[in-house]
Amino acid sequence: MEVNITKQDKVTTAQLIGRLDTPASQEVAKTMEPLQENAGGTIILDCSQLEYISSSGLRIFLTLRKAAMAKGGNVIVRGMNEEIRTVFMMTGFLNLFQIED
Amino acid sequence: MADSHHLDLHCRIILEEYQENLPLFQQKAEQLHALLKKTLADAGLIVASLEYRVKAEESLIGKLELKGAKYKSLSDITDIIGMRVITFYADDVDKVASALDRLFTVDWENSVDKRKLLETDSFGYLSLHYICSVEDFPYRFEIQIRTVLQHAWANINHDTGYKSGVEIPKRYIRSLSRLAGLLELADEEFSKIRVELTDYRRRVQQLVASGNLDEVPLDGDSFRNYLELKPFNALNKRIAAVNQAEIQEVTLMPYLPAFLELECKTLGDVSRLIKTYSEGAFQIACYQLGLTDLDIVSSSIGPQNVCFAAILKRGGGQAGITHFLDQVNGASDGNAIMARILVEQAANLPFMNQ
Repeated sequence: MEVNITKQDKVTTAQLIGRLDTPASQEVAKTMEPLQENAGGTIILDCSQLEYISSSGLRIFLTLRKAAMAKGGNVIVRGMNEEIRTVFMMTGFLNLFQIED
Repeated sequence: MADSHHLDLHCRIILEEYQENLPLFQQKAEQLHALLKKTLADAGLIVASLEYRVKAEESLIGKLELKGAKYKSLSDITDIIGMRVITFYADDVDKVASALDRLFTVDWENSVDKRKLLETDSFGYLSLHYICSVEDFPYRFEIQIRTVLQHAWANINHDTGYKSGVEIPKRYIRSLSRLAGLLELADEEFSKIRVELTDYRRRVQQLVASGNLDEVPLDGDSFRNYLELKPFNALNKRIAAVNQAEIQEVTLMPYLPAFLELECKTLGDVSRLIKTYSEGAFQIACYQLGLTDLDIVSSSIGPQNVCFAAILKRGGGQAGITHFLDQVNGASDGNAIMARILVEQAANLPFMNQ
């Protein structure tokens, strides 16, 4: 599992590559923790190369959402594949984020 | 910069006292401003703005030039520190005034309610001026309270460059008066709207609390009140139990447009819709979550799946679900795919075939 974080002005993009399963999530959480500092702006979670997400992965997304709500920012989840989008639908997570194709 | 050289000795002494105490005035003004800000916030009074200033030296010199003899000492000048509270509503002017009355000692002899000074057949500068003092400070200070509209009128009137109404050419006085009357009327209307809205909200709350849901039209206010009854709790808990999942509480307000489209006209309709389609909603969740180890759901799972079940059962099909997803979650190409998957999954569920 790989996470590439880039920042341009007020937009921070985290590109997630691979499988965000429970074993991987601890390290991903740590890698993504600094994103919370940018939660006042826009955070884009680029999932176009994300193959799988577990509950622990959803919790990482949720933590970012909470930080963004507290700071008046915005989290965009972009490019989810069909499987991940289904996970978002069946957990009631679809309307918690701004979803982009 | 105003020149103080031509001031007489008496006025120069007053000016010197001002200059010596300027840092004190500034410090006190900040303190009073902070105190007033906190008091208004504690009283739940939301105001458009709360400003303060310490009188500038030029302005004081100007005042001394004009009527210096009137003042025995600096403490006779009551507006060295000035604060201004601008309210949204006319009835908040009195609420702010009563808060000030509790907070400071008001010098009633010198305080003016310009609202009451106006003749019954004229309109104009409406504002409340309080001259106040506090125990630990030897100088009085002035607080003006007015509404946004009164403030706009006063500012524009001031901008004409005429200091008093007498100087203004008559035709403009008439125009300005007409405007003042119009704004006064607008202030009254705004207050009336607020009172009526508050009444409406209270009535809705009472009806919701007493369970008379059929009497409450479905709108933003009533839906928010209804959500406080946690109408999806039972369903959400039932769904979460499938995987012993934790429930993440989120706002359910985005579902209001969907319930309106599902022809819910009252809260009673929403309540019946939930009752009718909870079983279908649960079956969808069971089918989807049962084969996974997902142990987290958001509280929107209940309303989402109730809407899914209602749309599908009423024959809305894939197009109906896509429209619903677009409406609640924002338009996206992926919504049509989700809708297709859902329609396929639901086809074999018991609730669709009953």
